Amino acid sequence: MSRSRAAPPASVASPHSAEPDRRPALRVLAVGAEGSSGPWHQLRQWASDEAAEFELAPDLPRAVRRLSAGGRWDLVFAALSDRAEEELAWWTDALRGVDGSPRLVALVPKPSMGLVLRAENLGVLDVLTLPARREDVVRSLHRLRAVAAETAVSLPQPDGETLRQYALVGESPSMLEVYKLMARVAPSTATVLIQGESGTGKEVVARAIHLNGPRASGPFVAVNCAAIPENLLESELFGHEKGAFTGAVTRKMGRFELAVGGTLFLDEIADMSLALQAKILRAVQEHEVERVGGGETIPVDVRVIAATNRDLKAAIAQSRFREDLYYRLAVVTIQLPRLTERGDDLLLLTAFFVGHFAERYGKRINAISDRALEAMRAHRWVGNVRELRNVIERAVIVAGDSTLRLEHLPEELRSEEVALPGRPVGGLATLAESEARHIARVLAHTGGQIGAAAEILGIHRNTLTRKMREYGL
Amino acid sequence: MKVEQALRLLPELDALTPLRALLMATSRPDDRVVWARAGEYLTVGKREVTAAELRRQMAQTYTRITEHLSGLYAAYVEAVERLEAGAPGAAVAALLAAAHLEERVGRLSAAGRWVEVAQRLAEGLQDRRPEVDALIAGARIHLALGRYEEGARCYQRALVLAEAEFDQAGAIRACRGLGAVATERGEWAGAEAWYRRALRLAESGNGPGLAAGIHHALGELASRRGDPSGAVEHLRQAREGFEREGDAAGMADALSTQGRVDAELGRGAAAAAAYREALAWARRDADGPGREVAIHLRLAELHLEGGRFLEAEEEIRRAEDVAIASDQAPRLAAIYALLGRSRGLQGDETGFVFFEQAIELARTLDGSQLALAEVYTEYGAFKQRLHHPEEARAYLERAGEIFEALGGKAALDRVRADLHRLSA
Repeated sequence: MSRSRAAPPASVASPHSAEPDRRPALRVLAVGAEGSSGPWHQLRQWASDEAAEFELAPDLPRAVRRLSAGGRWDLVFAALSDRAEEELAWWTDALRGVDGSPRLVALVPKPSMGLVLRAENLGVLDVLTLPARREDVVRSLHRLRAVAAETAVSLPQPDGETLRQYALVGESPSMLEVYKLMARVAPSTATVLIQGESGTGKEVVARAIHLNGPRASGPFVAVNCAAIPENLLESELFGHEKGAFTGAVTRKMGRFELAVGGTLFLDEIADMSLALQAKILRAVQEHEVERVGGGETIPVDVRVIAATNRDLKAAIAQSRFREDLYYRLAVVTIQLPRLTERGDDLLLLTAFFVGHFAERYGKRINAISDRALEAMRAHRWVGNVRELRNVIERAVIVAGDSTLRLEHLPEELRSEEVALPGRPVGGLATLAESEARHIARVLAHTGGQIGAAAEILGIHRNTLTRKMREYGL
Repeated sequence: MKVEQALRLLPELDALTPLRALLMATSRPDDRVVWARAGEYLTVGKREVTAAELRRQMAQTYTRITEHLSGLYAAYVEAVERLEAGAPGAAVAALLAAAHLEERVGRLSAAGRWVEVAQRLAEGLQDRRPEVDALIAGARIHLALGRYEEGARCYQRALVLAEAEFDQAGAIRACRGLGAVATERGEWAGAEAWYRRALRLAESGNGPGLAAGIHHALGELASRRGDPSGAVEHLRQAREGFEREGDAAGMADALSTQGRVDAELGRGAAAAAAYREALAWARRDADGPGREVAIHLRLAELHLEGGRFLEAEEEIRRAEDVAIASDQAPRLAAIYALLGRSRGLQGDETGFVFFEQAIELARTLDGSQLALAEVYTEYGAFKQRLHHPEEARAYLERAGEIFEALGGKAALDRVRADLHRLSA
């Protein structure tokens, strides 16, 4: 089926108009047993009046079979049972990867605020009350058409000079400061401490310093101290002799030894025990290590670059980080900005990642839609550049033509569109609705843990429990 | 506090197993880690757990424990009652129901002990059909624990008794079980013979409801022996049978095998569609979460084969979420082994953390030897990919020793082939 996805928003024609309907046809699947979940024949008629092709499947498994059978799909109307919240998650999973990235409209006899908010978090287009009303169904179809009306914006070409010199992308003032500091520190062998939130690119900066320094021809060895179980980190860093402990099946060189003549990058340095910090300090100061289970002292000539997303000074105050190690590592400190502080770097980085992944997945993508860009600019990017990279990779995988659209972005970026039942689209939310939404978001963030949510919200857990009861969360 | 730290405070006592599961189920990733580089390597041991949350959810755990124990006690009382009423066959059935309850919560050794009691009672009866049921239940548990020899002996004895008693349904189940044992031992021709015998019996009108399952087993066998085309027709018949009977679990299993067959035939899109539909069916089944985890992992393997690492790891993380939330901890070892494989395929040395976590988890499992051997096999392949042949050999040899001791010839042959390639 071929049709334009970038058609302008259509005006709403009368269902009985004599004029030929020029709106792009939508393909709709309704899911629910005939007769048990409502008047599907009416839904079929309303969809047909709105120039939508309509099909019916009796249940989730058969709907999945129908959706996989071929062709693009735009919308799924699913009647949910009394396990509605669980079913919403199943539907989100089932629609992933379906051609056309169809949106879900959930039909429920009595939707609670909790269900609506859950739906919002999962990127559900709408939650409607059963029995369905014509105006609600038509509204959902109009919203879908509005979402589909997107304008393509060309992506800029990343600056080749920046890429070549530091393998870093960005022209924002905050990044220029980072480049200047890197340029000063790279030629030396000074120890560097890189600080910044998760995903801001600390390892990329460390690698760039290494590549632009006197040890560029040597190895760059990275160790993520938080990823490795505590009991294995020492042997990973310093190596071990065969039989030193259960699991030491062979003699093994540690990362310090592997980095000789080059750079050792110690990521998440705050996540190690004080005992191990003492051993790191000795290795950095004395330039020698001892393998676990071995008595021999091994000289290690390495440049150390460390990084952390934590406040090391606070950790020192709490006696969780050694002050002497801090001063040993922080000879030069580089602070990386958040993605949201980097302005138009978002677009440059997007262009860079689109190019990178389009090449990997054999696609030709040169534009992004205005709505997708708008959603990306509005996003909080708690995972910074790493999150952006992830989002773009996923979008490139699912994109079918040369433009990345809102539909290619993950649910959390396009989740603002869900409407509360019985309230017109675009209507302002009441204070209670806003509060309920915010509480639901925080609960989703904490995985439903009330204690943690109450802490984030700054209220007592009893107050939170009461509000959750009040809002049906 | 991290889960790995909290677990160190928990002695390994049988009575505390539900608390261990609760600890994992209430854990969540540290917000600071989710988008950090370490987030890519997150395992259950690195998740955060709080005393407050444990306390809050304790009541649900008590309820679950109480329900489970009530079920066991009620089954026992029923067995006594049936014996008093002179119905020993029904008493055996009650004891086997208790075994099934233990099996459902993954307590396989405990289930085995209920079966032993049932078996002893059944052996003294004139009617041998309860003994057939007990033997088949015991065989299934042996198989799940990787004890193929014992499993085969039970199935053989069940078959002899079932045939003597004209218990066609019992004979069908025993033949099918023997086929499953032969499959694990890599005896393909023997497995096919057993399955075909079961199918003949089922199609002769004495077990129409069982035919779909046997077609599925034949399809699975054809796939494992490297003949995906031979699996297609059996799987079609299995799906038709299961759908006709409204057997959601059967549909999920058949579609999951169909997905693997499609993948082997190079039909990636069809494979993904089959897995997605399998997931939808699995969710209709009460015992769904375990099955759901397995299907997510197969879908992830499909992505890995296509080099789509992001999608593969997202799928594995979905399996992890389901496993942690639904008390499927035994599946976590397989989940982390697959994450480790994904990292190995990307040349990422730090992927070893997943294998270390998988080994730790496998050691605490009921039937740990089989799980441990599977993890060692994957760890060996990981080390091989990253050009550490000595370590690869050490892990593969350990896996081989375990498979040999268990009598898992099919897996042993795989390991030996890997070792041979390593030496070449």
